[in-house]
Amino acid sequence: MESASIAVGHAEEHEHHGPPPANRSSRIEAQFLGMLLFIISEVMLFGAFFTAYFFIRVVNHDHWPALGTKLPVAVAGVNTAILLSSSLTMHWSLVSAKNENRFGMRAGLLSTFLLGLTFLTVQINEYVHIGFAPHDHAQGTIFYGLTGLHGAHVFVGLTLLSFATIRAFRGHFSAKEHRGVEVPGIYWHFVDVMWIIVYSTIYVL
Amino acid sequence: MINPLRSEAEAFRFLIYVVLVVGAIVAVVLIVRALS
Repeated sequence: MESASIAVGHAEEHEHHGPPPANRSSRIEAQFLGMLLFIISEVMLFGAFFTAYFFIRVVNHDHWPALGTKLPVAVAGVNTAILLSSSLTMHWSLVSAKNENRFGMRAGLLSTFLLGLTFLTVQINEYVHIGFAPHDHAQGTIFYGLTGLHGAHVFVGLTLLSFATIRAFRGHFSAKEHRGVEVPGIYWHFVDVMWIIVYSTIYVL
Repeated sequence: MINPLRSEAEAFRFLIYVVLVVGAIVAVVLIVRALS
């Protein structure tokens, strides 16, 4: 009898795998704190680039864009609409996941990915035809720096979306467990927010 | 208070607010520029 209870005790001990749970020194949930610190660092990164932009426009009173150059405002405007519509499809995807609508979730994720890819392709095409290089003048450096930094974030977002899309088509995610769609969704909306600010300052104002 | 990091739904709502606020600021600046 005693040996049987010892055997059960040993079995319970062996059920736990992996390292012991990490020490929690903060009252904020670890995942939330991680995302918060990440977004704060991202805001500071974009802030550094915007500081350079405002320096040459407000402090130096340089011409924007540089004399003899023109920014494709209309094309970038259409691209903005494409990116904003991708946020709509992202939201549709998560709402579908919460309602156990697998078709909606998959279609939403796939269309978000394709719209994001279209945005990036149009931006690369813009770089090819814009007519100035980053080393031509300060305005060019800031233009490529800000739009390129944002483009890099779109690329990261597309990578996350590709993982989520593949998982969705493999039958993952449900009404209860959809964190794999939710987290890329939050990131994707953040990328859109940054683009609204970049587009307004760089192209429109 | 809205927290865009809490859920995708709140992040989406935050995006809509940013579009509206930035759109309003841009409109005001363009109107002032056109009038001056």
